Amino acid sequence: MPVATQAAIKGLTPQQVEALGINLILNNTYHLNLRPGIEVLNEAGGAHKFQGWRHNLLTDSGGFQLVSLNKFTQITEEGALFESPFDGKPTMLTPEESISIQHAIGADIIMQLDDVVSSLTVGPRVGEAMWRTIRWLDRCIEHHEKSGRADRQNLFAIVQGGLDPDLRDMCLDEMIARKDRVAGYAIGGLSGGEEKDVFWRVIKQCADKLPADRPRYSMGIGFAEDLLVCVALGVDMADCVFPTRTARFGVALTFKGPLNLRLKKHEGDFSPIDAACPCPTCSGGTSRAALHHILTLETAGAHAVTQHNLVFQAQLMGRARDAIVQGSFPAYLKSFFATYFGDRGYPEWCVNALRSVGVDLLEGQENVKTLPGNASSWDRPE
Amino acid sequence: MASLKFDLLDTVEQATTFGPRLGVLSLQREDGSSLQIKTPGLITTTSRGVVPHLSRDHTSLTEAVRWVQLPFESFLERNPPIPTLQGGPHALHKFLGYKTHQHLLSLTVRDPSDGREMPANGKDHIAAMTIRGVRKITPTQWKEYMRACRPDVVAALSDVPFTQPPYSQKRITKSLERSTAWLADLLSSQSDLNHEPFNVLVHLVGSHDARARQAFSEGLVEPLYGKDAELIAPFKTLDEGVAGYILELEHLRASLVGADSPDIHDAVSQLCKASLAPLSFGKLRVIHTTSSPHDILQLVQDVGVDLFDAPWAHQAADLGIALDFRFPVSPPPLVVGQACSSPMRRDGGKLDIGHNLFDTAYAHDHSRFASTFIDAATASQLPDAHEARDFVCKCLACSPVTSEECLVHSSVDSFRNTNGESMNLPYTRAYVHHLLHTHEMSSHALLATHNLSVVDRLLADIRKMLSEPGGEARYREEAKKFYEAYDRQLSVFDEARAQWAKVERERGKGRLRREKDSDGANDAD
Repeated sequence: MPVATQAAIKGLTPQQVEALGINLILNNTYHLNLRPGIEVLNEAGGAHKFQGWRHNLLTDSGGFQLVSLNKFTQITEEGALFESPFDGKPTMLTPEESISIQHAIGADIIMQLDDVVSSLTVGPRVGEAMWRTIRWLDRCIEHHEKSGRADRQNLFAIVQGGLDPDLRDMCLDEMIARKDRVAGYAIGGLSGGEEKDVFWRVIKQCADKLPADRPRYSMGIGFAEDLLVCVALGVDMADCVFPTRTARFGVALTFKGPLNLRLKKHEGDFSPIDAACPCPTCSGGTSRAALHHILTLETAGAHAVTQHNLVFQAQLMGRARDAIVQGSFPAYLKSFFATYFGDRGYPEWCVNALRSVGVDLLEGQENVKTLPGNASSWDRPE
Repeated sequence: MASLKFDLLDTVEQATTFGPRLGVLSLQREDGSSLQIKTPGLITTTSRGVVPHLSRDHTSLTEAVRWVQLPFESFLERNPPIPTLQGGPHALHKFLGYKTHQHLLSLTVRDPSDGREMPANGKDHIAAMTIRGVRKITPTQWKEYMRACRPDVVAALSDVPFTQPPYSQKRITKSLERSTAWLADLLSSQSDLNHEPFNVLVHLVGSHDARARQAFSEGLVEPLYGKDAELIAPFKTLDEGVAGYILELEHLRASLVGADSPDIHDAVSQLCKASLAPLSFGKLRVIHTTSSPHDILQLVQDVGVDLFDAPWAHQAADLGIALDFRFPVSPPPLVVGQACSSPMRRDGGKLDIGHNLFDTAYAHDHSRFASTFIDAATASQLPDAHEARDFVCKCLACSPVTSEECLVHSSVDSFRNTNGESMNLPYTRAYVHHLLHTHEMSSHALLATHNLSVVDRLLADIRKMLSEPGGEARYREEAKKFYEAYDRQLSVFDEARAQWAKVERERGKGRLRREKDSDGANDAD
């Protein structure tokens, strides 16, 4: 699910995005509430119409941005008290208010307001935030059901509990008890700089316990290997700014690993990013050399690589769907890791995570190293 | 290189050297395909080889983009320039993603709209600008690069001074001599059987000196003798070897600064005429760097120019301005139930040529960009004979097109293309206002496709009027009405620039608050 923070996938038009085979994008409630503001969205008839998007839309609750973008935010039982970026006045965002804003935006999937703490936080604050998130979920559900929009908009709960397995477990129990009143579950409080080896264990714990008949949405996941591991652990959907943001910096994602097209080694390379890729950039024959010439200097360079990266991610996930349907998902995982990381070595945490669901990436790959830590694949100067 | 043919149509009273004229430019390619451009027509300018803000799919879908003018200088950053290594019969088309059946590519060394001061040109080179500094380029290198890149049309290397004006008589004489010699050198290789001949355009030099401009042109049509004649054989004159002429307005305006002329636009027209008077009537006349739609209308009428660029339309897209004007000046199309405001009226009573969508006045304006045109969705609701149907803006912002084939990424996907249900609605002023304030690049993409389409429409409407009986007389009247109706100073551009400068000052954390504070202060004034 690509991210359109301010009601636009950066640089593209909705017609371009749908042509890429993408039918679900994310808007940020916090940002849209500030600009253009609810009044404008109401006048336009909701965010779909405002941005000319005919497909599905998801909005987050705004809780994450309150904490990540605003250092004065105070969380009270009533809601999140923050300094308005417009006038500096204390402003309260309550769970009810968050849901009302999301009603005005009109997204197909909306998120509860959660009490977000950094995934690196330890101590009693994590437990407090988890329990408050559950109480706020109840308020969100009440408000959403009363609004009469529950038939058009689907409310997701957000599982919190930091990196503590016991807290996660309690949160899961409470939220699963409310299953009939929520449309799906998000796994929150991750992707905040925690160890990958801890990250996948939390995902697995949640995915193992969440009901099979509700979608599970892992928030803020965008690296290819993270996405496939999450899918293997039982996650259904994810969002991240990574493919679009990295495109603007000149990095193209491929099944053989990322390409930093700004590096000198690409300046005279007349081959496309990926000859087999169906995206407009590759199928239109845009060469790495042509992209090298314009990237970060002309917006058209960012547009071209953004189109490509979105298709890369859509293909990565599309192939996962096909493999699951055909019963060949383990083989897909193995071939993906072999081409994506090759001889450079596999991240150890991926190997461990996939072993936990019965897939041994190293089977028949005795010569492949494993790399500790958050090892990811990156294109470096020669 | 494909063969280029330019024919003037005899529908207009074209006895005079200077006056409105209609023509058709045809490019016949070796593979049998051909491409036609009606004149007066639009030149789309580029930056680093691309139409600013347009992805390749948007460039192809924007019908206004046909003659694509490419400054080569950004490629001089590397030696050899990367496009020269591409190879193949349409190397430049392939490298930059232009389509041979749709786009005619013309190549110049310099960006004609870049009037910045440069180091002096030399006896055997001119100075070109790259982001890595100034590069020298010689006539021999230029020929090699053009041979490797295979554009459809090339401009001969010319010595146009970009040092501080005014230019001395001696400097202008040198400019004439060098430009003539370099053109002769280029034409001398036209009969080289090892290489396909170029379609050559020549810059008409002479700066602000009418006599020098005339002298340069007379030199082009003068039969050459002796060694010089041998050099350019089989051509008898330099003029025989060129397909058309380029007039550089940026340079002209710069060299006229401080000159004693009551009306700079008239002075420019006079200098253009001084250059063209001795030359072949039937050859293509190209203008670089117009500064307003008024320039285009005036140069069609006073001089009889065939092709125009519109860098101001690109600047408007950069600044957040959506163009909204029509020729002939006419009331907005009447469509019941739709409010769509005209651009702002200035103190003198003249209308802006566009809307500065960055202005907070547009925050709640949910109408399409232009009041003078309608969108495809609105048009589809009108009866077939409704006259407003002739005023559809076909740009990707007013009439967005859903791709017929969306990618499918797995066998279980059922991607429902909802286009069958209803037409895409136009993007609104409020949406672009929001995108501009949130620094979203999509705003510029939507404005770029729109603005180019509006200028292309201006040229189409000029052609339409001139092709009708009595068109030329009516044209003169309507052009006058246009000058009276629309602001030629482009005050709206200055306003937008001032607003962006303010954004630059206030950007960073806490911007929203600072903006609000300073808006409050303005209100109090």
